[in-house]
Amino acid sequence: MVHLRKIKPLEVLSEDAKEYIHMLSLELLEKMGVKVHSKEALEILEKSGAKVDKEKKMAWIPPYLVEEALEKTPKIVKLCARNPKYDVRLDGKHICCITDGTGLYTIDLETGERRSSTKDDVAKSALIIDALKDADLYYPTVTPLDFPKHAHVLHEYDAAVNNTEKHFVSGATYLREEAIYLIKMAAAVAGSVEQLRKRPIISAVTCMMSPLILPLGETDAALEFSKHGIPVVLMTMPLVGATGPITPAGSVLIGNAQFLAINTVIQMKYPGAPVIYSSYPLSMEVKTGAFAVSFPEADLVIAGHIQMARYYGVPNFAGGTIGSSKVPDEQAAYEKALCGLMSMLAGGDICGTIGLLENYTVLSFEQLLIDYEMYRMMVKLAEGIEVNEDTLALDTIYKVGPEGHFMAEKHTLIHAKDVWMPLITDPRPFLTWKKAGGKSVVEVAREKVKEILATHKPAPLDMDVKRELERIIKEGEEKIPH
Amino acid sequence: MSGKEAIFLELENSIKNYDKEAAVEAAKKALKMGLDPIEIIEKGLAKGLREVGTLYERGEAFIVELIAAAEAMKAAMEVLKPEILKRRAEIKVSGKVVLGTVAGDIHDIGKNIVAALLTAAGFEVYDLGVDVPAEKFIEKAKEVDADVIGASALLTTTMLVQKEIAEAIKRTGLNVKYIVGGAAVSPEWAEEIGAAYAPDATTAVEVIKNLVQQRRRGL
Repeated sequence: MVHLRKIKPLEVLSEDAKEYIHMLSLELLEKMGVKVHSKEALEILEKSGAKVDKEKKMAWIPPYLVEEALEKTPKIVKLCARNPKYDVRLDGKHICCITDGTGLYTIDLETGERRSSTKDDVAKSALIIDALKDADLYYPTVTPLDFPKHAHVLHEYDAAVNNTEKHFVSGATYLREEAIYLIKMAAAVAGSVEQLRKRPIISAVTCMMSPLILPLGETDAALEFSKHGIPVVLMTMPLVGATGPITPAGSVLIGNAQFLAINTVIQMKYPGAPVIYSSYPLSMEVKTGAFAVSFPEADLVIAGHIQMARYYGVPNFAGGTIGSSKVPDEQAAYEKALCGLMSMLAGGDICGTIGLLENYTVLSFEQLLIDYEMYRMMVKLAEGIEVNEDTLALDTIYKVGPEGHFMAEKHTLIHAKDVWMPLITDPRPFLTWKKAGGKSVVEVAREKVKEILATHKPAPLDMDVKRELERIIKEGEEKIPH
Repeated sequence: MSGKEAIFLELENSIKNYDKEAAVEAAKKALKMGLDPIEIIEKGLAKGLREVGTLYERGEAFIVELIAAAEAMKAAMEVLKPEILKRRAEIKVSGKVVLGTVAGDIHDIGKNIVAALLTAAGFEVYDLGVDVPAEKFIEKAKEVDADVIGASALLTTTMLVQKEIAEAIKRTGLNVKYIVGGAAVSPEWAEEIGAAYAPDATTAVEVIKNLVQQRRRGL
């Protein structure tokens, strides 16, 4: 369920700073240029008026093209779902929740051991998202390593669509062919390619490279999705201090220039194609060179990018409930709480990114529920304080008087259902908690996950559609280059 | 549906709708019809309250709803009381509990919650309010032949009154069980002064049920 943001976004960049970063991004794209590995993208840019060196795979994009592309970029993006009641409309005012992706390992729910991830993990996490009221979008938490890797995207979608009616955001695609087969599958579920264009029940993440590289497969895949009206998440991932400048401002700049470059390619070819601005930076621990998603610099870069997206009026995939901890522990809790809240306060549209540990590589089902609980708290905070005659409760205050209490008042009963309610958070006093087993939140989350897995039944696909999906996957496994 | 059945349903629903005014009206109407006040309670009001209590235990009703239901019940009981006294009728109760916030302390929300939960569980609650000195607890318990005295204290400074009450019970030889609670109170303190203890309102009801059983078995 989407929530309406009622508090004013927190500013990490002033109006002047945003304008300046925009001007400098334009300057970089024109003067320094961008490396473009995709032949099609180079041709699009050349045809649109950019200076191109096909041998060096370089393009120098004039500011007017970038600005023209921004004008063509939609301000509102609809992410439709198999079941229309789960449709999400990104309009800059609402907040929704997504899973994080796409990891390689899973902390096994039964054994507690960290092992390679499987298609069953994808299916189970999708089923949990289907059951959670405030979770809106499913991004494959992990990749199925028990199936052919070149067709991983197809198996991810297969596991997801059979277990949730909510919108599917595909993890990164590295080849145009992957996109082609994923689109075939989504069209089979939607009914037809035309239906899919009308109601895009999938979207897809496309990762750019830092400093200023548009990679081959990813760029071609993005173009393929755009051709079919499928929203693409344009994700920049500067490693702050390594593939991006060490200062947050510099990494905001380089990431912003990347977004503008790929967006120009897409809008020149497919004007009005829906795109989503996204940023997944990592901080560098300067002593050892280890990278962490959750250090303040990376977190500030995310907030900066959220604000640049808002400056352009383009919806953003903010994420934020991220961390580098290896287990669902105290480190995971504070990393995720602080980063998640920062992203949400800075103006995130797609928030959450729940469920993964160790720099989005490890799925923990327990952490998925803990993150979801945190997301629900944050989104309640972002709804702010509603002030009107009813919420001020003046009449009730008079009625109760200086010595009474509010617990039995009509006003209390009416509004009690709006009060935040915990799913796994334990507010009870020590002895009561101890008598009930003295369980940690990780244990409570594990029990809740098992309960959901045992009881929740998602709406199944038609048998015909299921069979068609199996056929497309088989064909994809043969035809996708590997 | 007979007029009798209709009025019982009206009584029951007034509690289930947490509607104090409707409960009072229905109770007045039932008395006017000449119905037995015990029947009015058992077949109407208490039935409604028991249902809300069950929903609360199952996690399907909010505590504020249970408290609102208990308050509606309490208001209707005020209407019935004169008639009950007149007829010297006996209300079947789970037990009689004298409750209060101790002298020097005016924090009463915790005590109020316990009172509401006890009412919902079928106890007769004598709520002495706030800032209650030790002797008042003793007097009231003696007067109503209470099963249990419950004393609440939020402040560490007022906890000492809980000890005074314990001593007064011993001194007077009063046959009554004693439970303490409140934010400042620990199980160690309760043990030290020889009182029972519960960390929260729901547990308090369970502990008080046991205390009543113990007293009735002469333990």
